[in-house]
Amino acid sequence: MTAPRRLDAPTGLQSGDHACWTFADAADLSAAVLPFLDEGRRLGEQLLLIGASRPELLRVLAPLPGRDELLADGQLQVHGTDAVYGSGDRFSPEDQVAAYRTLVAEARQRGRTGLRVAADVTPRARHGAGARRQLHVYEHLADAMMGAAPMTALCLYDAALGDDVLGPVTLLHPDQHSGSEALAHLSGRGLSLSLHGEVDVTLADDLLRALVDVACDAPGEVVLDLSALRFLDVAGARALARATRLLRGADVHLRLVGAPRTAARCLALFGLGGGDVVPE
Amino acid sequence: MSDVRPTGDWDGTALAHEAFVFGADQELVDRVVPFVLEGLSRGEPVLVVAGERVRSLLAGELGPDLDRLTAFTAAETWWRGGHRTLHAYDRDLRALQAVAPTWRLAAEPTWLARDDGREWSRFEAVANRCYAALPYYSLCLHDRERLPEPVLDAVARTHPLTWGGSAPVPAPAYEDPERFLRSVHPAWDRRPARAAVAALTTPREARRAVSAAALDWWPARVGEVVQAAHELVLNALRVAPFVEVSSWTDEGTLVVEVADSGPGLPDETLGYVPPPTKPDSPRGMWLAWSLADDVAVDSHPAGTAVRLFFHHR
Repeated sequence: MTAPRRLDAPTGLQSGDHACWTFADAADLSAAVLPFLDEGRRLGEQLLLIGASRPELLRVLAPLPGRDELLADGQLQVHGTDAVYGSGDRFSPEDQVAAYRTLVAEARQRGRTGLRVAADVTPRARHGAGARRQLHVYEHLADAMMGAAPMTALCLYDAALGDDVLGPVTLLHPDQHSGSEALAHLSGRGLSLSLHGEVDVTLADDLLRALVDVACDAPGEVVLDLSALRFLDVAGARALARATRLLRGADVHLRLVGAPRTAARCLALFGLGGGDVVPE
Repeated sequence: MSDVRPTGDWDGTALAHEAFVFGADQELVDRVVPFVLEGLSRGEPVLVVAGERVRSLLAGELGPDLDRLTAFTAAETWWRGGHRTLHAYDRDLRALQAVAPTWRLAAEPTWLARDDGREWSRFEAVANRCYAALPYYSLCLHDRERLPEPVLDAVARTHPLTWGGSAPVPAPAYEDPERFLRSVHPAWDRRPARAAVAALTTPREARRAVSAAALDWWPARVGEVVQAAHELVLNALRVAPFVEVSSWTDEGTLVVEVADSGPGLPDETLGYVPPPTKPDSPRGMWLAWSLADDVAVDSHPAGTAVRLFFHHR
């Protein structure tokens, strides 16, 4: 597992990369999508672009080399967000991830090297708190799936959604464009949940929301591996303590394991154990 | 001995904190046995935590009453550094508070005889403030033979009560906790010209700067140094737009200074006060103080500077 990565450009991406990309306006969106898809074209990947309106997306794609051939050939597909993710209550994170899994398999059958998706997910984040909880679950499941399947994704979010909405979403991606530095990633890749990078006061609230949403699905024990955490401050430990308490209310027992030595000191301040503490 | 009043006018509603320095066996017995028996007669939980000598003397004198003590514990295994020892003590106090309206404790902090145990006097000083409202009598026992003069001096300055022969009396040498702390913290020398200095506005920048300095000094302690400095930087950035972080080494000791132009530290004892159990309460200073080997504070209305000292060991 690697530390979260700050992306300067939407290129240099490969299978397994799952990027969170915030954009300011249509021009910004197009500046990200075009090089991302063009890279996939050169890699022989199946390409999928998802956004608010199909006609608008086709206009965005005009400068893409070989656009018409790609569309005619089926290597590039373009869909409206609602058509793919559904609107309102019809969205199911599990079904959506399963659908992508099928698309990956179909792309491989057609001889493509993998699936590359650029999706403007902004509309899903506008549906309110309940939909945002579902969105966190979705990003988490998608991230776990991409850890094991030949898929590359650029998740596009309108920067106007604000830090409250974008913070937890960003944490659920290993590749991040927003902010000056990628600090932390809450990952579902591997056998358990794991936290990578640095969690300080600036991320504490985001972590609390993302963690509670992705862990509260089913009663029972959820393991959070902290061994790849390079830094945890008191505020971050407090967020983990709050998450533990909130989850207990949903009959979920959050078990922290592998805390580095100093992080374990922080956790102990809240009466939390860090599992078998690992040396730094 | 009928005129002896082992706790004087103490009414059991707040902290009484006495230092009793003993030499001869009988001196100890005459002070502690009536103290214990008075507590038992009042139905208070009575706890004894002491070294081997004190325990065997009391066991002989108390006879069957020994079984009526709520705790009769060896002090030798208690010491785990000041912060961890106090944290454990604090949890015990809170547990007692939940079940007893008042209690009394005769405790011998034997670790004051160790070089690394001397910092305990700071916690003794701060206890006068942070435990002021807890309803217990703490009779601290100190063996004149075992403890060096500077430790006995600190004992006298950190306990508001001393034994007057028939009742506890105010200790003439007692000092305000903040004054005591200032006197035992390292002197506030001028920052050396060789110090690396940076003005920073975010905690992550500060972590990078401190991490680089600590790596040059001793990689094994980078985690602790960064953690401690980070919490101070956060405190500073709450009251000031930027923070000045500087660091230097002095004969193997790394010094990290965090300075801000905020309104000054309201309470210089905070780094020695165990955090309350509710999760919202701050813990940064407690953690920073516990990770560093020593600290010094320079606080005035125009700003605060805190120095953390880390020894190469």
